[in-house]
Amino acid sequence: MTEAVAVTENQEIEVEAEVDLSIADKVIERYKDIPGNLMPVLQGIQDDYGYVPRVVVDYVAERLNVYPSQIYGVLTFYAQFHLKPRGKYIIRVCMGTACHVLGAERIRESFYDRIKIGHGETSGDRRFTFELVACLGACGMAPLAMVNDETYGKMTVQKVEEIVKEYSALPL
Amino acid sequence: MVTLTIDDKQVAVEKDTTIYDAAKKAGVVIPILCHDKKLKPFGACRMCLVEVEQMKGRLIPACTTPVTEGMIVRTSTPPVNKARKLVLELLLVHHPLDCPVCDKGGDCELQNLAYDYKINTNRLTDEKFHHEIDYNNPLIERDQNRCILCGKCVRICDEIVSRGALTFINRGIKTKIGTEFDGPLSCEFCGSCVSVCPVGALLPRPFKFKSRIWALTKKTSVCGYCGTGCNVTLGVKDNKVLTTVYDENQGFHNGQLCVRGRFGYQFINSEKRLKTPLIRKNDQLVEATWDEALSLVAQRLKGAGSAAAALATPRMTNEELFLLKQLMTVQVGSQNIDHSAGYGHSAVSEGLAKSLGVAASSATILDIQKSDLILAIKTDVYETHPVVGFEINMAVKNKGVALQIISDKKGKLSRLPGANLLLNKPTTEVVLLNAVAKVMIDENLTITSATPELASALNEFTPEKAALVTGVTADEIKSLARAYAAADKAVILFTAGLSYPGADAQLAHAAANLAILGGKLGKEGSGILALQEKNNSQGAIDVGFVPGQGGLDALRILEGSATGTIKTLLIAGENPVVSYPAKAKIQKALDSVEFLVVADLFLTETAQLADVVLPVCSYAEKVGTFTATDRRVQRINPAIPPVGQSRSEFKVYSELISMLGGQPVATPAEAFAQIPAYSDIKYNELAEGGTFSSITLQPVQIVPKANMVVSDSGNYVLLTGAALYHCGTMSLYGEGTLAVSSEAYVEVSRADAVKLKINDGDQVKLTSTDGVIELKARVSPRMVDGVFFAPYHFADASINTIWSGSTVTSVTVAK
Repeated sequence: MTEAVAVTENQEIEVEAEVDLSIADKVIERYKDIPGNLMPVLQGIQDDYGYVPRVVVDYVAERLNVYPSQIYGVLTFYAQFHLKPRGKYIIRVCMGTACHVLGAERIRESFYDRIKIGHGETSGDRRFTFELVACLGACGMAPLAMVNDETYGKMTVQKVEEIVKEYSALPL
Repeated sequence: MVTLTIDDKQVAVEKDTTIYDAAKKAGVVIPILCHDKKLKPFGACRMCLVEVEQMKGRLIPACTTPVTEGMIVRTSTPPVNKARKLVLELLLVHHPLDCPVCDKGGDCELQNLAYDYKINTNRLTDEKFHHEIDYNNPLIERDQNRCILCGKCVRICDEIVSRGALTFINRGIKTKIGTEFDGPLSCEFCGSCVSVCPVGALLPRPFKFKSRIWALTKKTSVCGYCGTGCNVTLGVKDNKVLTTVYDENQGFHNGQLCVRGRFGYQFINSEKRLKTPLIRKNDQLVEATWDEALSLVAQRLKGAGSAAAALATPRMTNEELFLLKQLMTVQVGSQNIDHSAGYGHSAVSEGLAKSLGVAASSATILDIQKSDLILAIKTDVYETHPVVGFEINMAVKNKGVALQIISDKKGKLSRLPGANLLLNKPTTEVVLLNAVAKVMIDENLTITSATPELASALNEFTPEKAALVTGVTADEIKSLARAYAAADKAVILFTAGLSYPGADAQLAHAAANLAILGGKLGKEGSGILALQEKNNSQGAIDVGFVPGQGGLDALRILEGSATGTIKTLLIAGENPVVSYPAKAKIQKALDSVEFLVVADLFLTETAQLADVVLPVCSYAEKVGTFTATDRRVQRINPAIPPVGQSRSEFKVYSELISMLGGQPVATPAEAFAQIPAYSDIKYNELAEGGTFSSITLQPVQIVPKANMVVSDSGNYVLLTGAALYHCGTMSLYGEGTLAVSSEAYVEVSRADAVKLKINDGDQVKLTSTDGVIELKARVSPRMVDGVFFAPYHFADASINTIWSGSTVTSVTVAK
């Protein structure tokens, strides 16, 4: 797999200084008396914040009486958790065998040319997060891309252009 | 019992024993990397694979598999050896072969196993790891490239230390041991992780490139810091203590040490040690010979009578204290002797002495894990006696012992599973305990009924009234009383020492009353355990290094020095200028006393004021005994010869006794034999781990004095005490402990920080009626609003500038 393209400076993500802990409170209240509640709490937090902010990790550690290190261990073990803010629209480009053969690499390049972010990166305005995935399981539609839950089969460079235009026009 | 066969040897073991432990019992060694006898079985390394006849077809990990009746185990068959070789080859794919420059070389379990299994080639190759080495702290180096992911560090930090600083982060090939957000290590630096690391991934930095472990002479000793009485092994080379060496079989604590014990040894060979006696000439301290110095001291002491006084540190051996007491009381003729500022030992020397009939704790540290309930009063035991903290931790986590805490601040203890914290207003502990006793009496929960005097004295301490005073609800008080009474075995812990002015005789009486009423004395897993501050605090009480008939206590000795009634003052190892309350007064006293002799390892703030300074030995250089806080009497032997011209205080006071015409005992053994408290202990029979001095309890219900006064809220109060990394002022000469905690600070609650606009690290000015001090603020989740805490060890910003000895000091705060 090709290495992610280096992030340019304007894409550095500013992590919010003020994180509203009352959102975490609500999630914790929901699960606080259930044994083994760390996973659902973290999943709820990820859903509600879009990622797991650092101050929330410390807060959950204090509320659930779990070591912050342990939470970090769980967060880094599962690919589903994100420690940095994510874009509103998650673009996934399939790099599986069928897609690869049918030019997935060009699709990736086209996306990069337009939104200037590589694998795992998020645009400065937090509109897009770009991810390369091993297989989306729809090889018949190769080359394949997804934006959030929307699937785009038989991808072409033109379609990349259209997708970026379409989502850039949507409100943030 | 379960009977099984291991390598053709029959062995009978307890049910639930693992194959690994059974084999150990049978004398069969199974190689292991991830197992530690102190930790729960983990099964990470797969080195301990064995064949079991009844479980054919796969290899069985010995460390996690319990034995079954008739099991036939073979630990060293060709398939087993083949599997182990593969495990080692796999580990060595990534483990760097930098053994020549690795401090673990020669002491490395991976190296030894690779040698044993002749792994001279590897069928597998891959690129080595390129993890950055963590040099961010001065004590522990973390080199993840060498890590084999056995997880012992992660587990010991959780299971025993309860800090949880380390964890497995990431997944698969990227897995490594790290901290939260993969930052630098930020913890208590007890080094437990270092001690159990089988390879060179975690190393003690102060020992780096100092010596190969096998080139060290290992000398066992007793730690010279707090009263826990941990055994330590000192690694000595060229007459220098270079490190402490971990021995998992050492002491009741299985080699577990805290940051002071493990890393605080550097004061022994510190450059700052006094090498020769000093005499003041023309207002300058100049080097002198021992003869000059001692004859000057002898002249001053001769016939001085009650114009002379001595303050001694409870870091001296029992025998040294015995000799100094003899010198002062017999040869000089003064009863003015004391230690720990007088109040520092009153909880035991007065409180327990009256309540239990013996000036000592009834329980021992070993009772903690055997108990059903621990009641910890006003103690941050993790900070003052960290290894006792580990015991509490294991009791609560592994044995399900209930933990009740009475404290004026939240702490690590209150985060233990099931811990119940009663957060009281400072100075109201005795009221709270009295109310608990009252509930026990009222609800007929007592085993021994209360005396009419006690019962009527406690009448005013209803839980409802106490709630107003203490800030703890009446229900909490009642449920504590019920829980304590219901426990079959219960231990009460509290701290006593220089820095705990509130832990006084009244607190001891109140605590003892609970134990007496609840029938919790004189049986295993039960009783009272006063955690005393210094390594020989109990010894100083046993020897009787307290004011004799008509003698002055420490604070009066200092008053006398100021007014001129005390003309010659001998201070042995104490550093009152920094550690006693009311610095200005102390300094005035020491300035005005005619003749001041200080015997110390260092030119302390107090020694700088002396007329004669005598350089004396550290615990690593002398012979004698220390008595731990739970009456454990242990012998020490010199690990190194005296540093410079320093002499053991045994020798110093022997000579002074001779010079004053007395006949000193010849050896520490003879001195020991003359200490009545130890009459049933034979000096020569004291082995490692020592012996508990025996006591006879004569419990008496004493009415503890306490003010039922609701304190005016709204003012800020300052508490003082000990910080984890230090013990007294001696640890400030240990580079290791100093490196992680080098400056004075004051802890502030989060809400107060917001209210006062204080950020972490800001300089804040605290003003009391005694003075002003500037300290760095630490915003801390454990502090209660309105209460500040500042440790007392630091000379450059010594808290006794504003602290005059009361339990709490009213302060105003400004940025």
